[in-house]
Amino acid sequence: MKLEKFLAQLTEAPGVSGYEGQMGDLVGQAFSPYVDEVRKDNLQNLIALKKGSGKNCPSIMLAAHMDEIGLMVLKIEEKGFLRVTSVGGVDERTLLSQEVTVHGKKPIIGIIGAKPPHLQQPDERTKSIKMHDLYVDCGFSEEKIKELVRVGDLITINREFTQLHKSKAAAKAMDDRAGVALILETLKELQYLKHSIDVYGVATVQEEVGTRGAFTSTYGIMPDIGIAIDVGHGHMPGILNKEDTMEMGEGSGIGLGPHVHPKIRKKLTELADELKIAYQIEPSPSPRGTDAYAMQITRSGVPTALISIPLRYMHTSVETLDLEDIKSAARLLANFIARIDHEFVEGLKCF
Amino acid sequence: MKDLIKRITEVFGPSGQESKVVELIKAELEGHVDEMYVDIMGNLIAHKKGPGKKIMFSAHMDEIGFMVTHIEKEGYLRFTNIGGHRPWTLKGLRVIFDNGVIGNIDCHSDTKPNELNYDKLFIDIGAKDKAEAESMVKIGDSCGFYNSTLANGQRMIGNSMDDRIGCVILIEAAQQVKSSPNDIYYVFSVQEEVGLRGAKTSAYRIHPDMGVALDVTPTGDTPEGAKLNVKLGDGTAIKVKDASVIAHPLVKNFMIDVAEKNNIKYQLEVLTAGGTDAGAIHLTKEGIPSGTISIPCRYVHSPSEMVDLNDVKACVELVKGMVAIDIAQILD
Repeated sequence: MKLEKFLAQLTEAPGVSGYEGQMGDLVGQAFSPYVDEVRKDNLQNLIALKKGSGKNCPSIMLAAHMDEIGLMVLKIEEKGFLRVTSVGGVDERTLLSQEVTVHGKKPIIGIIGAKPPHLQQPDERTKSIKMHDLYVDCGFSEEKIKELVRVGDLITINREFTQLHKSKAAAKAMDDRAGVALILETLKELQYLKHSIDVYGVATVQEEVGTRGAFTSTYGIMPDIGIAIDVGHGHMPGILNKEDTMEMGEGSGIGLGPHVHPKIRKKLTELADELKIAYQIEPSPSPRGTDAYAMQITRSGVPTALISIPLRYMHTSVETLDLEDIKSAARLLANFIARIDHEFVEGLKCF
Repeated sequence: MKDLIKRITEVFGPSGQESKVVELIKAELEGHVDEMYVDIMGNLIAHKKGPGKKIMFSAHMDEIGFMVTHIEKEGYLRFTNIGGHRPWTLKGLRVIFDNGVIGNIDCHSDTKPNELNYDKLFIDIGAKDKAEAESMVKIGDSCGFYNSTLANGQRMIGNSMDDRIGCVILIEAAQQVKSSPNDIYYVFSVQEEVGLRGAKTSAYRIHPDMGVALDVTPTGDTPEGAKLNVKLGDGTAIKVKDASVIAHPLVKNFMIDVAEKNNIKYQLEVLTAGGTDAGAIHLTKEGIPSGTISIPCRYVHSPSEMVDLNDVKACVELVKGMVAIDIAQILD
């Protein structure tokens, strides 16, 4: 499937943390022509295996999370308004006046309403609205909505995948379906390359609530190398320190920080230079934000690296990126995989 | 059941010091399970053997408390917290140590409520000076709230309902379940209040096919209360989410089905913070489908936690209903 089409399909479908079942099915269908096995584990991580040509060969795990942030029904108020809480780090300022789908007994359209400016107190006008003051209005009476919706039902924002100028695109849940798409592109590239190592493409669950799926999937696979693929902050107006962000369209970021094994990073950057693949160095000092954190400290430890796709407006419904950054990083990863041998893997065992 | 609740909530057992609770539970379960053992961390594991897959229930024995950090020359004890307290609510409360020494928490009378933190509070055990205090308690000794547990009709009030009430539910269920298609582990875990520590190691050892925590959950039914769905007296609460776990859809739906088929009064719970043993169990090894049965409880982490006996009985029925069904059917 073409990158644009796959990404449109993934980002428009719901898959809030803890409820990635349908998303896993979509990913499994897309991966299956390029891999030898597809399975789901206990927590619904989608695990695809493309076998290497070697015997007793090492393995690499590519992990990108397929869950998205979202909302959950907290309480059904009188007159049928739904109070909500967030699943993952939703920016509450961006929720006002969004159209949403409430995933009840059947999908129901709703909107997020709030008090109009005319009726606000002076101090309310200068403050952003808080999650506990927002509500979803589906138009149903209290009695009717209680037949269709229960506490704990999920809510996602309705947003079509939109292509902007040239290769740029905006959608909800690019974080981290773009990473899942990068794995698919890598698997496609690997069709034309010979690789001796086993390649696990894993679409992980529950990253947005604490890299939970990466912990359990890594435990099950126990790879020799782990590469987390996630989105990183792209540059946009209002960012004071340009160094904190990456430029969209200038290649994906190769992470640099305590959760990145220096020998893997070195090989990735050297290979990118050799193949003239654009990349950026992304300083990544905080260790807990991506699946790399979980992969690195599972069992006796996994040598881990991080690839970051530059993306603007993270955790909004208009997450924007450049598709070329996905394609170039896939080429880099595929070639990296093709060049890994026993010797390189042995070298990683001694930091 | 009232008698058991009173006895178990009045036993001393801050995190890391759960052995008196272990003794009480062991005595209650004698003859009702196939084996009981205490593991390295101090978790009490009661095993009721069955032919099928393993289901692990976990209720924590530990309670929140305090630990002595320093003894002043006048004999007053400075202390830190074990688990989550709101320091400004502690003034005037009584505490008890493992050896029976009783004290009360107070502060200088000029201290403003918004300044009340551990550095302003002390425990007075009635010692006349440091030497006498040291003969009664030592630095590193723990204490817990000291209260009588009371019944007010169907409502019971006392400290350590969190989570001895969960232990009561497992004891009652274990006493009533004579056979099951499942291999049942009733775990009475340690050190939940300091980070789900006992559940983590017990789940690793047992490696169950399904995990179920039993713990209290705050309610939204008090004046100016939080926007929470759960009400005291509205039945057992089936957790959808808290900060530690998103209940596995299979397990959550299993609980709902059992409640509906057995006419057990239940409510759905979404908690915006907090965590239970399920948070540790579900991330064990390759992952374990897990959920939580919550007991509605007002004033959680205060000396007067309030539960409703009808809710407690509904939780017992839910546990019994779950173990009556072969979980292999649910997990496939």
